[in-house]
Amino acid sequence: MPVCRKEEGIMTNAWKAIRKVLLTVVLALVIGALFILLISENPIDAYVALFQGAFDGKLSFGTTLASFTPLLLTSTAFAIAAKAGAFNVGVEGEVFLGGIVAAYIGVNWTFLPAPMLYVACFLGAMAVGAAWAFIPGFLKSYYNVNEVCVTILMNSVALYITSYLVSGPMSAGVANAQSDPVTVNLYQFLKPSSANVGLFIAIAAVVFIIWMLKKTTFGYKIRTVGTNPMHAEYVGINPRAIFIKSMMISGALGGMAGCIEVLGVHGYFLNNFATGLGSNGMLAALIVKSDVVLAPFMAFFLAILKSGAMGMQQSTGVPKSIVDTITAVFIIIATMELLFQFNGKRKKKKKDKAEA
Amino acid sequence: MSDYVVEMTGIVKSFGEVQAVKNGYFTLKKGEIHSLIGENGAGKSTMMKLLYGMYGFDDGVVKVNGEELTSITPKLAIEKGIGMVHQEFMLVNELTVLENIILGFEPKKGMTIDFDTARKNVNHYIDQYGMDIQIGKRINQISVGEAQRVEIIKILTRGANTIILDEPTAVLTPQETRRLFEILENLRRDGKSIVFISHKLNEVMEISDRISVMRQGEYIGTVDKKDTNPAELAKMMIGREVFLNIEKKKAKAGEVVLKVDNLWTSGEKEISKIHGVDLEVRAGEIVGIAGIDGNGQSEFIEAITGLRQVEKGKVYLGGQDITNLSPRKIRDAGLTHIPEDRNTRGLNRTMSIMDNLIAVQVDAKPFSKGMLLDTGAALEHSKELAEKFDIRPRDPQMSTESLSGGNAQKVVVAREVSIGGKLLVASQPTRGVDIGAIESIRSILQDVKEEGLGVLLVSADLEEILSLSDRIVVMYEGKISGRMDADEANEDNLGLLMMGGQDTSHAGVQEGGRDHD
Amino acid sequence: MQFSNIINASLIYATFRASTPIIYAALCAAITQQANILNIGTEGIMLVGAFTAVTVSYLTGSWVLAILISMLAGMAIALIMAVGHIKYQAEICAIGMGINMFAIAITKYLLNSILGKSGSFSDPKIVGIPKVHIPFLDNVPVLGDIFNNWAITEWFVIILVIVITFIFYKTVWGLRLRAVGRFEMAAQTAGINVNAMKYQAIMISGLIGGLAGAHLSLGYSNLFTENMTNNRGFMGVAAMYFGNAHPVFTAIGCLIFGFADSVGARVQAYGVPSQFVLLMPYVITVAVLAISMASKKAAEKKRKSSLTT
Repeated sequence: MPVCRKEEGIMTNAWKAIRKVLLTVVLALVIGALFILLISENPIDAYVALFQGAFDGKLSFGTTLASFTPLLLTSTAFAIAAKAGAFNVGVEGEVFLGGIVAAYIGVNWTFLPAPMLYVACFLGAMAVGAAWAFIPGFLKSYYNVNEVCVTILMNSVALYITSYLVSGPMSAGVANAQSDPVTVNLYQFLKPSSANVGLFIAIAAVVFIIWMLKKTTFGYKIRTVGTNPMHAEYVGINPRAIFIKSMMISGALGGMAGCIEVLGVHGYFLNNFATGLGSNGMLAALIVKSDVVLAPFMAFFLAILKSGAMGMQQSTGVPKSIVDTITAVFIIIATMELLFQFNGKRKKKKKDKAEA
Repeated sequence: MSDYVVEMTGIVKSFGEVQAVKNGYFTLKKGEIHSLIGENGAGKSTMMKLLYGMYGFDDGVVKVNGEELTSITPKLAIEKGIGMVHQEFMLVNELTVLENIILGFEPKKGMTIDFDTARKNVNHYIDQYGMDIQIGKRINQISVGEAQRVEIIKILTRGANTIILDEPTAVLTPQETRRLFEILENLRRDGKSIVFISHKLNEVMEISDRISVMRQGEYIGTVDKKDTNPAELAKMMIGREVFLNIEKKKAKAGEVVLKVDNLWTSGEKEISKIHGVDLEVRAGEIVGIAGIDGNGQSEFIEAITGLRQVEKGKVYLGGQDITNLSPRKIRDAGLTHIPEDRNTRGLNRTMSIMDNLIAVQVDAKPFSKGMLLDTGAALEHSKELAEKFDIRPRDPQMSTESLSGGNAQKVVVAREVSIGGKLLVASQPTRGVDIGAIESIRSILQDVKEEGLGVLLVSADLEEILSLSDRIVVMYEGKISGRMDADEANEDNLGLLMMGGQDTSHAGVQEGGRDHD
Repeated sequence: MQFSNIINASLIYATFRASTPIIYAALCAAITQQANILNIGTEGIMLVGAFTAVTVSYLTGSWVLAILISMLAGMAIALIMAVGHIKYQAEICAIGMGINMFAIAITKYLLNSILGKSGSFSDPKIVGIPKVHIPFLDNVPVLGDIFNNWAITEWFVIILVIVITFIFYKTVWGLRLRAVGRFEMAAQTAGINVNAMKYQAIMISGLIGGLAGAHLSLGYSNLFTENMTNNRGFMGVAAMYFGNAHPVFTAIGCLIFGFADSVGARVQAYGVPSQFVLLMPYVITVAVLAISMASKKAAEKKRKSSLTT
């Protein structure tokens, strides 16, 4: 049987993956350009303004980094759950809850010395995020309840819970629904942007996740469960436990993102602050098929689009909502497995191909 | 006008990089039974699936009744009078027998389906061929033999003149096979042309008019039955002479390693629920479980390996109660398991040979160092196993995705056998693998027995059961219908037990089964 | 808090009213589910339908035209999903979520750029779906409260549930659809064009999803707001699971959610924080989904081999 050599296989696969991402980017930008033409604006001007808005000057670049930080975590959160076979749309809810817990601890646990308080904020946020993700993980693995539905609906529940808390019991009593300012903050740089050292915490967390997935036995188990739970069960790995744990890790990363947003960006819990953070992270992960190494790069690209959007809206007549449209087109194209497979090499996935 | 109803020449078909058929050739005369034989993976099923339009062929010419067909869909094939009984039945479990039969060719009354006409029409065919089929039942309520008859009726109601049967006897008892052959004889008498795919030479010699042989995707030749003999066919199939009958080594049975006491479980179908099974396996012996697929063998194995809940009864391994323990704990107690389905259970096809070889021991030394996976140790171990068990390709970092059936199965066997322990459960260990792998897997099972492990073998292949087992039990409708020593057993007495010891004329008629609680 | 002010005859209509958009959404999901395609994109299809309906009604003044065009818009969006999933093998959850994100973004973008509004759009020129006034019921005490002044699309949903049930279980197309969903190869070998069936199912689902949106924006309310579907599409999918894709049982599931919604709205008047009222339908949906799947699993457990799913 002719089998291509392994090294070649890896090279071509990597090249194919990258080529596909690039083609997807180009096609999405072209479709986006059509939407811009639709409202009689110049797409090239718009795109130039977009990238200027993302990189031109300290503020712009800082803003890009600030919006990259949560996306880095939420995209990895989605990806790690996906590795175990879960479609966790609930990262956004976990960001909200992580944020509210960080705000609560940051405001009220002043009896702790400052370094401990940081740790408490992070641990509290991550624990609650994990606990929240446990629910859909449990329901899916024990009762086969579709996790997409559950996590989406639970996002709304999380939003309303935090919204109730900051407009009621935890309200700062100002016009906006928000909490009192927290007593610990993450150091900000590139001021006046809100880029902060949370970025490096996030990078460290993501590196840890990648290491765990690739190098540890636990990572091996996640990969096994995600690709073939029946096999995992048979070889003596408990697929349910692994599935739930991955969901909880995913939730913890979401909670961490919420904590960084509260301690690093806002300084308090602002109602609704996480809207879009979860879904954009999901987009970044989906585009690269939940590859944990590539997801951060995609997250960075989306962060550029996000932070440049405002500049584009100001300097051209193109509404910043075009960016959401482009990213959505992006994801639709990216999910189409066979779109950029040329040469008619559309392999049929017949499992009995070698045994037919 | 050609003499042939079907003519296939120069057929080529590849799946990805694997060439399943190269230069395939096949002809079918009107009113003949033409057997297409070859080993697993010889391309015989693929040839016929191409004729039925399941896949498109890459190159070659297909003529049906003299007319060349450049692209075939199942719909076109049906229109041209071709019908196929697939190895895996194409029946929707949740629909009724009647709904399955009329699917795609539903008689209509206005906007709705005319079930009355449909029933009348189907009953007409059932009576004509004297088959017993209960058309009101759902597919998951009937037996395998009956389902096969449903498939045949389905094809006949669609007006097929050419009938392809893909390994139809694999799921039947010898007695049921004889009934099937009577039906085929009747069909031939009515002028139908039949393609019979098989690798069982005695059956082929019994039923065929002509026989074509394929090997490794290539056409080898066609012979008239009256001019040939099994030895010649075997040589054509394999390309060399093969003696599968390994010399059985006398068992030196030791103490009991597996004791199953009055086991009850749920089941995929009514007839596959386990109803109170007792069984013992001793160290150093092979106990074979014979039976037609779907009579509870899978459920029984799943129950003792921790993959299915035991509802009642006890399972002991080496004296330790392992009832309803997790698969992990059962493995720790000394059980290893070659599962019946290597694609879903046995292997993770997305991972490498190495990853699959260490899957069971990923938490054990030397592969696990603290939390870390020691890929060096894993690689070394895998290379050793690949060498010892002749897994091709040798490179353990290759993906298992494109492994052939035989090599894929060797990965599973290597992993399980290398662990050792007390009991090896081998379920359909040679299903869908080539003849070379069959030989080596069977001799490995013998070796395992020699080393003093108990072996529990499940196989639907009577020849395999007879050639390996020291003791044989027969499973029928979730119960043990008979037990005997291997030297008392033969195809006839086992075949009878496989049907619950009933008279053959009632074979396959099963009432829903009893619910025990 | 007076119990009779919460539970009374008008609650029946309130429940049904709150349920209708979800029933449409659930039917949208049920049709594809019969072909074994999980329509996660229901939400997005519905949102596009809602936007199209309001825009067309505003521009042309015709609610009939608005409904028709929104159905076509729903079908167009569904077609993207169909091509992606069937032809290019996109994973259905992934492309479904993509469709949802796209719907939110594109409606927002078009709201900004075409209608020049942000957040929401309402205008006296938007012609809503008319209500059916039955003069005879005006003076009938209880029935008048319950049955009078339903929007046309509220009556129509009942018809639609019956029609789709009939199609699923009595027609040739329905039998083939169910065969495709349960065992694709069996349908293929019966000469059925499996992909054609899937395309048809998704396209029809798109029509109904568009209608669901039109009803939401022109029947249930008379305006468009960003993301106005507010997860009703997902509730529909949940109800579809609850009813096992059988239209009647699915609709019953929707009524449970509608009931939670309308009771919540009444309880709010008694000082319960609005957020709790708003989150109740979601909590109940998740609970109902969990309970119905758990009981299904318990029934299956007798049969299925694996501990995993």
